[in-house]
Amino acid sequence: MRLAFWLYEGTALHGISRVTNSMKGVHTVYHAPQGDDYITATYTMLERTPQFPGLSISVVRGRDLAQGVSRLPATLQQVEHHYHPELIVIAPSCSTALLQEDLHQLAAHSGLPPEKILVYALNPFRVSENEAADGLFTELVKRFATTQEKTARPSVNLLGFTSLGFHLRANLTSIRRMLQTLGIAVNVVAPWGAGIDDLRKLPAAWLNIAPYREIGTTAAEYLAETFSMPAIYEAPIGVEPTLAWIRTLIEQLNAACAERGVPPIVMPQLHAFSLDGLSAPSGVPWFARTADMESFSNKRAFVFGDATHTVALVKFLRDELGMQIIGAGTYLERHADWVRKELEGYLPGALIVTDKFQDVAQIIDDEMPDLVCGTQMERHSCRKLDVPCMVVCPPTHIENHLLGYYPFFGFDGADVIADRVYLSCKLGLEKHLIDFFGDAGLEYEESEASLLPEEPASMPSGTNGLPSGEIAADVVVIAEDGEMKWSDEAETMLKKVPFFVRKKVRKNTETFARESGASMISIEVFRQAKESLGG
Amino acid sequence: MTSVTRFIAGSNSQTKTFMMQVPGDIQVIKEDNVTHSFCGLACVGWMYQKIKDSFFLVLGTHTCAHFLQNALGMMIFAKPRFGIALMEEGDLSKNEPTLEEIIREIKADHNPSVIFLLSSCTPEVMKVDFKGLAHLLSTADVPVLFVPASGLVYNFTQAEDSVLSALVPFCPEAPAGQKKVVFLGSVNDVTADDLRAEAEALGIQVGGFLPESRFDKMPAIGPDTVLAPIQPYLSRVAVKLSRERGCSVLHSLFPFGPDGTRVFWEDLAREFGITVDLRDREKAAWEKIRNQTALLNGKKVFLTADTMMELPLARFLHSAGADVVECSSAYINKKFHARELEALDGVRVVEQPNFHRQLEDVRRIQPDLIITSLMTANPFVGNGFVVKWSMEFMLMSIHSWSGVITLANMFVSPLQRRSKLPAFDKEVWLEGVMPSAE
Repeated sequence: MRLAFWLYEGTALHGISRVTNSMKGVHTVYHAPQGDDYITATYTMLERTPQFPGLSISVVRGRDLAQGVSRLPATLQQVEHHYHPELIVIAPSCSTALLQEDLHQLAAHSGLPPEKILVYALNPFRVSENEAADGLFTELVKRFATTQEKTARPSVNLLGFTSLGFHLRANLTSIRRMLQTLGIAVNVVAPWGAGIDDLRKLPAAWLNIAPYREIGTTAAEYLAETFSMPAIYEAPIGVEPTLAWIRTLIEQLNAACAERGVPPIVMPQLHAFSLDGLSAPSGVPWFARTADMESFSNKRAFVFGDATHTVALVKFLRDELGMQIIGAGTYLERHADWVRKELEGYLPGALIVTDKFQDVAQIIDDEMPDLVCGTQMERHSCRKLDVPCMVVCPPTHIENHLLGYYPFFGFDGADVIADRVYLSCKLGLEKHLIDFFGDAGLEYEESEASLLPEEPASMPSGTNGLPSGEIAADVVVIAEDGEMKWSDEAETMLKKVPFFVRKKVRKNTETFARESGASMISIEVFRQAKESLGG
Repeated sequence: MTSVTRFIAGSNSQTKTFMMQVPGDIQVIKEDNVTHSFCGLACVGWMYQKIKDSFFLVLGTHTCAHFLQNALGMMIFAKPRFGIALMEEGDLSKNEPTLEEIIREIKADHNPSVIFLLSSCTPEVMKVDFKGLAHLLSTADVPVLFVPASGLVYNFTQAEDSVLSALVPFCPEAPAGQKKVVFLGSVNDVTADDLRAEAEALGIQVGGFLPESRFDKMPAIGPDTVLAPIQPYLSRVAVKLSRERGCSVLHSLFPFGPDGTRVFWEDLAREFGITVDLRDREKAAWEKIRNQTALLNGKKVFLTADTMMELPLARFLHSAGADVVECSSAYINKKFHARELEALDGVRVVEQPNFHRQLEDVRRIQPDLIITSLMTANPFVGNGFVVKWSMEFMLMSIHSWSGVITLANMFVSPLQRRSKLPAFDKEVWLEGVMPSAE
């Protein structure tokens, strides 16, 4: 038992729903107490889904447990009746796993055909988000992938792209753009947007692309073993890795082209990959060589995140931007060995493996790096320390679901990452200048407020020479510049208004007072104003 | 436990319902609670901020932690005054959780005056003796109070009821003859000041609020205290206090909207032998929101059940001339909500609704406005409806006279906003937004 405030990885239920929420015709039923479907809010609010995610709860109430009642069969019937999904995935919760409920048997009571139901009864106390998502996706691929004729032209599957994935849509666009330039067709993207039929036809592709270490790799390995499908597991993050990724892709597909008597894929001129089709595909190689960037040689970077992005960012910062890596770590213990192997020779010390954000914050505090690449939590920790930080991986956050095109993958992605490094560090420099030369006139209302005594009650009466306490209403107190005066009580009341709207409330109240002929803001005037203006 | 011997609820796909009789022949339809809402742990979100010298400790799992940080968007500030005593696999085989070390850590880092120990589903299933545990961990300086909050029993706001119940022993006994009102329910300081001033203006002596902002400032409650509930989800603590302290409980409307506010204050004043006629004030308040009610008049409004504030909100809408086509709530207490139910005469009221059924009704009825949870709001918009988040009503100052305009604007603003935006062609602008739905 330990005291936890915040966790990097989500739950097994989260992992399961990320896969099913990605897919067409699949509905998840949580057999869980009220509230365990809170996860629905992450889809409807972060991804802003315009339809209802296929997620329902079969509510377990304390009373049901006492009476030995299960609502699961009825919920399954309701889901079938209202939505007619092709597949219903049943997921346990902590409590129902603890009760060792036989979900298979309960599901059978629904009378639904067994082939329509997949009970994914993992142990939520042992399995977390990524393992659950990777595991369920592999289960689904095993269940549905069917031997097929290969497509006539070279084609690939894109595996592991999953709802709430980090910059998922933009990464997918970046990959699609490169494939289009190469003339390679996409057979299936899964699980994102895939239906059961798409899973069936996975083996029609010539090759699998599974760039996320966390989700999709296991399914690609299964497809390699069972259907002899080659796979590329590297993530095309950074310019050199992207070039290597393209070369490997062409090489592997051309081997198959030769066997199948299809004309080989030819590597186009690199400008063909650029957004306008006329320029260098990425600005990073030149950017890194400019004089402006020389200062980056001395910048010390620290990277912490999932497996895929930690490896990619360390390599990018050192190999392509020439920065110093002072340390790196991951919260995914399950993938720590892989990260260690990938980063051999890159780190001055041992890889940090922890799921406690406080440990990471302590390292940042001790090291005070010039740049931290981390999760939302590192950004938060860094803000307190005034250390520049950019977010490079999950857990996801509303700010990772922006409307613009900000991929991390491909040439386009290299530019996005380099821009973010530049903006993060540059701001850091400006901050140092401000620190060096003074506050540059920046004043925050809060620090202003902190100059005042904390407890208004402790203020001696008659502060500022005003007869406070009992201010007679007929005493006209108007400052020389025409400013409206506030009684101490009214001022105290105003302080209870959140600081970010306080100025507005002050102004509106003063306007109200002037219009209603009040000479100063007493507590009564303030109340009347609030009543009349609302809030 | 095997399922063979278990009774299987619901033998067909139709939602089972039955009617509940309430005074005045109001019928409440009861369904099976297959819905989208949060569990009782949600109350941590506002309660830890309300009681400033407290710490909220949840004995729970990864799921509880993930819920608080994700769905409630609660980020960790410098010193968060809430945390999870995280039960991992190894903890499941132990007889009783050992929290001494964690309590020591909390005391060292936060120096709280009180620690609330919240239950969650897993330890409830394990039948952890929470009362014994809290007792064991309590010291004279820092009491540890058990707060039942698990989703096995409690929805969303209901665990505030549990927190307040746990605070009862820390409210001093008010002597007989001390006739004062104690407002029941957590509101922010601004709202509290307003309510206090309004009561005093009517000649009502104010004993305080349960809860106050500090643990050592809880109000005195005794046989002549009048308990005035200002939030509609606190029936259990009201009953507990009237039983244990002999105080009387105001049964009125909740002070939302001109109608509710007038009735609330008139009824409260009457408890103090004061007769006031606030009809002019109510009229003036309606006048102030004339534009808003003109827009709401005749609009079909559907409330899908989430925060348990639905009854008074629906009653205000009903009074404002809106056509409330369904008012659903997770829990309805015949006695505690009697006046609101009476005021909702003629409105379809559902307890523990079934969301699948609601979805079909919404598509058939085509309401002009839907008040719904964070989980379902955007999909309703995607289906062409105008929505308002139900949770927002908990985070805005909508009580009493000074809350009237805010309250009215909250319903009106989404309607007005929709009319300000250009026409929206779903076929064009939703393409590719949700590949799983296409």
